[in-house]
Amino acid sequence: MSNVINELLEGKIDFEGQRLVETLVSWVMIIAAVISFIAGFALQSLQVTFGLFAASIVALAFVIIPPWPMFNANPVKWLPAHTEAQDTKAKAS
Amino acid sequence: MHSIFARLNNSTSLLSSCLMGLLFAISLTTFLFNEEAHGQIVPASVKVLDARLPRQRYRTQEAVFTQFNVTADLTPLFHWNTKQVFVYLQAEYNNSKGVQNEVVVWDRIVRRKSDAVIRTRAMSKYSIRDLTRSFKKIPGAHFTLKYNIMPYVGVLTSGDIARTSELVTFPAAQRAVS
Repeated sequence: MSNVINELLEGKIDFEGQRLVETLVSWVMIIAAVISFIAGFALQSLQVTFGLFAASIVALAFVIIPPWPMFNANPVKWLPAHTEAQDTKAKAS
Repeated sequence: MHSIFARLNNSTSLLSSCLMGLLFAISLTTFLFNEEAHGQIVPASVKVLDARLPRQRYRTQEAVFTQFNVTADLTPLFHWNTKQVFVYLQAEYNNSKGVQNEVVVWDRIVRRKSDAVIRTRAMSKYSIRDLTRSFKKIPGAHFTLKYNIMPYVGVLTSGDIARTSELVTFPAAQRAVS
């Protein structure tokens, strides 16, 4: 039981998923800041600026923080495990 | 970025940089707004009273009380980064020792754009008192209406709205009532 909870809290994703998260975060955050600045300036309201920015950050957090299946689409392929028979054969030769 | 904690950590560090950039950009826009406020101040009454000094029984000090008709339109000063505007009426005079003095006589904090049109009889909140204790040898004072814009983010900006064209003279002191 505690194992399951630990895994849920850890939320591991694979290497491709990590690259995807990295690009997603940097692009979305910078674009959100620029757009919210322009919108707030156009409407002359700081409330619009920070409301828009906060909303986009919350949406971004919802996308990147849980380990969604799309971040685990390319799991690392390990080599097959050695069996005991193979090991003894390797020693003998 | 492999675990939830690492993702949270990395993205909040970028978030703080983005927020700083956003705040810096907002504070820079203050310099784009150069609208001037217009107004007028007309002296209505100037009185010099011989007032008692606190804690000194037998000595008196002259105090000047003024009333001004102040009309000003501060609406152009309200933009997206204006938290509130501080308006104040300042007296400027040279006392008999040649020291230049600036004294705030009246002030008001304007918090909303809907309150930005001022049309009032500004009775002096703070009396003018001089170190020499007398206004007999002082010809008079110039009065200026000034403002400070307090922003949400960035620097405080200030400016003048109106100034009296002629010297406002101080009359002879009256005995204080009471």
